[in-house]
Formats: sequence, structure tokens, C-alpha cells
Amino acid sequence: MSTTANETTSTQRRTQFQGFQRSRGRVGVRNHVAVISTVALCNRIAQLAAAHHGSPLLIKGDFQRGLQTEDAALQEAMLGQLLDHPNIGAALVLCHDRRTAQRWHQQAAAYDKPIETLAVMDCQGVQNAIDTASAIIKRLTQAAAHARRVPCSISQLTFALECGGSDASSAVCSNPAIGKFVDWAIEQGATVIVSETAEFIGAEEVVQAQSVSVDVAEAINACIRVTEQRMAGDGDHYRGVNPTPENIEAGLTTLVEKTMGAVCKIGNAKFVGCLRFGDIPTRSGLYFMDTPFFSPCSITGMAAAGAQIALFSMGVFNPSGNPLTPTLKVCGNPDTVKHWEDGIDVNLSGLIQGDITLDQAADQIAHAVTLTASGHISKTEAWGEGQFIFPRTLPAF
Amino acid sequence: MKRIGLTVHPHDNVTTLLDFQVDATQTHDGQPVASGIPFGHKAALRPIACGESIIKYGVVIGIATADIGTGEHVHVHNCQ
Repeated sequence: MSTTANETTSTQRRTQFQGFQRSRGRVGVRNHVAVISTVALCNRIAQLAAAHHGSPLLIKGDFQRGLQTEDAALQEAMLGQLLDHPNIGAALVLCHDRRTAQRWHQQAAAYDKPIETLAVMDCQGVQNAIDTASAIIKRLTQAAAHARRVPCSISQLTFALECGGSDASSAVCSNPAIGKFVDWAIEQGATVIVSETAEFIGAEEVVQAQSVSVDVAEAINACIRVTEQRMAGDGDHYRGVNPTPENIEAGLTTLVEKTMGAVCKIGNAKFVGCLRFGDIPTRSGLYFMDTPFFSPCSITGMAAAGAQIALFSMGVFNPSGNPLTPTLKVCGNPDTVKHWEDGIDVNLSGLIQGDITLDQAADQIAHAVTLTASGHISKTEAWGEGQFIFPRTLPAF
Repeated sequence: MKRIGLTVHPHDNVTTLLDFQVDATQTHDGQPVASGIPFGHKAALRPIACGESIIKYGVVIGIATADIGTGEHVHVHNCQ
């Protein structure tokens, strides 16, 4: 493994990094060649074709046919937004039938990058399909190789915030350190998305205090109410049983305190908007996105919304990451850091050891962000970790 | 031997103790703390009157149900 970002000593926060200029003023931190399989039927052929070319990024739908209208529409819209993502420099869209391939071909014309489409049914044999796809990937790889990194501003970045494996350390180390970084990034003009609606149960007053308007606060709190009701309908009465006896033993006194342990990663910023799953922010600042709490799914939503980098706070180790949106694992638990060094990007155990302050912890995050944005490979990328998971709300036919 | 107290926000009136030196009565910052407060639990940074807000993360996480002296353990017995 290469040197971890936290081993370097620079503490000055840089507002510039070396990224890829994309259409509509956007920037990418990666120049992936992607193979997007629009239906699970083609996933294996996509995988075999991609295997010939080092590491093109494979993005797979897990279903498509038989989904009810709104779920099918969401999966298709998300695949389209991922195709348009600034971390992708060129892409093959692999479809099963010709009509779908034609539709994607027309849609792809709007995206300013080399994109080719292929219908598996237009091929003559499994091997022929793999070879045809492989030849396209080769062309796309050559086309994408022309892109060069140029100076970009942190204000052009959208950050996805995430946490998993939460414990006492994440509530007072990695999450508040991310919060301090977020305050700074938003001052620089960046965009930040936080999600996982269930984690906000108990934070309704904080949402009111930290929203730019009553409308924004009410939109977010409505999402929280709906999620809480759905959980109650499934027998999970979150508010009544939290903090749990284990939480109380660990030092958590109230539900608000427990909730803030996660929510504090938004810092002191105010919400400027409430997004549905995968909705794209329209301005800079802090956004809430209504997503399930399972991190591979919630990061998928924020990646589809254009997030180029994710900050993932951990207490105990959680392998989750996103293949398209480099996911920096930030951890303050000394035991976790000791045993999972090969899975952690930002080591904040100095907080618990009394060696660094939260501001210095935020400096470490900022440093890791500019390094990663300029091309330094994150731990989850090095392991090829991660997946795309689209939520479904209705039974399939 | 001194304790590690982490205060998340400048407005907080409690600090979270992040070590197992439970016999110590002072943090590295010179803040007095009662002995016996476990890892991950909170100590008052200043006197907090019954009915006053308990502030952590810069937000009200609960209300004091008793008068709490500087350095005292803040938990379910005196906060809800």
C-alpha cells in the first residue's frame, strides 16, 4: 500500500487540487472508463469484457425488467446520472436489446464525453459479445487517456457524508472532525450532502435551527417523520427505545445526544435544500438527501447526485465505499486504527490520545481530500471495494 | 495522571472523557473532574443549575434535573 494521507505533516488547508475539467463547469477527481450494464442479464458479459482492460469501472443494474414503474424509472435515471458523473471520462453502455441501446445512444449524446452503446442481441455468440464490448472498451480507454489534470478549486466539489461502524469514538472524534471540515469546505463554496434519514430521528430541532428557511426544515423533518412511521409500521419504535441500555452504559444520556453523535458531521452549516434519492443539488451549501440508512445505498444516491468524494466516518471497521466516488475512511478509534491500518485513510486516533485538537483533525481531513482529489488512491479504491445499490419501494412483477 | 476530555463545541457545558484513567481528577487542560467517571461519559465544565440546558455539540441534548457542580458526572441521574 502507498503512504497514507495522514502520515504527511502538512497542515495548511489547500483550496486547489489537480482535477479533470468536465462539461457544465464541473470537475472530476477521477477519469474512469466505465462499463454500465443497464440490466442484470448483461452483467457477466460486461464483467468479462472489462476484465481484458485493467480496471474499467463496472456499474451494474441489479434488476431492471419487471420492476414497477417508479422503481424502474429510478434505476434508469440513476444509471444515466452515473454515466454523466464527472469522475467518468468515457463509457460503454451495455444493453440487452436494440431498442434500449438506441434509447441510451440518444440520451448519451447530451453528455459531453466519449460514450458508446452496444446491444448484446446484436452480437453473434457470447464470445462475440464479449469481444465486441472489449474492442469498444479499448477504443474508449484510448479516448479517455487524452484528458489531463488541471488546477481546480475545492468549491467545485460535492462531498458525500457517511458514517458506519459508529461507536463512542466516532461520536466525539471522526464525526465532529468531519463537521469542522464541512464548515470550512462550505465557506470555500463547496457543496455537501448528508443522508440516511433514519439517523436524523431526534434531530428535528437541530434541523429547524440549522436550515436556511422554514420550508427547507419542514421538508427535511417531513422525510424524518415518514421514515419513523415506516419503521414503526415494521415494529421498530426507534424513539421509544433509544438511547438503548447499552448506549446509556456507554455514556449516552438522551436520544438527541445519540443522534447528534452522527448528525454533528454537518458542522454548523445550514441546510439549503432537501433532496430526494439521487436529486442533483442546484447550488452550493449543505443538502439533506432522503435515503435508506444502509451506506452502500445512501452513497449511491449521493454519487448519482454528482458527489466526487465521500467522507466516511468510522468507529469500528466498516468496509463500505463507493467505486466511483472515492470514499475516505476517517477513524478516531485507536484499536480500529491499529488493526485496520490498511483500510483507513485518515487516522484521527491522536484525538483520543490527546495529541491533536479537532481543528488539527479537520486539517488532516482537508489534506487527505486534496491529495485524493488530485489522484491519490484511497484505501477502498485500492481494494476495489464497493457497489451501487438502488433502493426499491415496490414488489417486482 | 490526567484525563483526556474532548469538548466538541465552544458553547458546550460538558466535556466527554475519552480514557480509562478513572481515578484522575483533572484533565490535560486543567479542568477538574470527579473521579470514577467511565470512558465515553460526560463531566460538567462549569456549575449547571437544575432546569438549565445541557449543551454538547453546541446543541441542547437535555435538561439538568439537579444542580450539577463543576467536574461532576452528567448522565441519566441528573439529566434527561
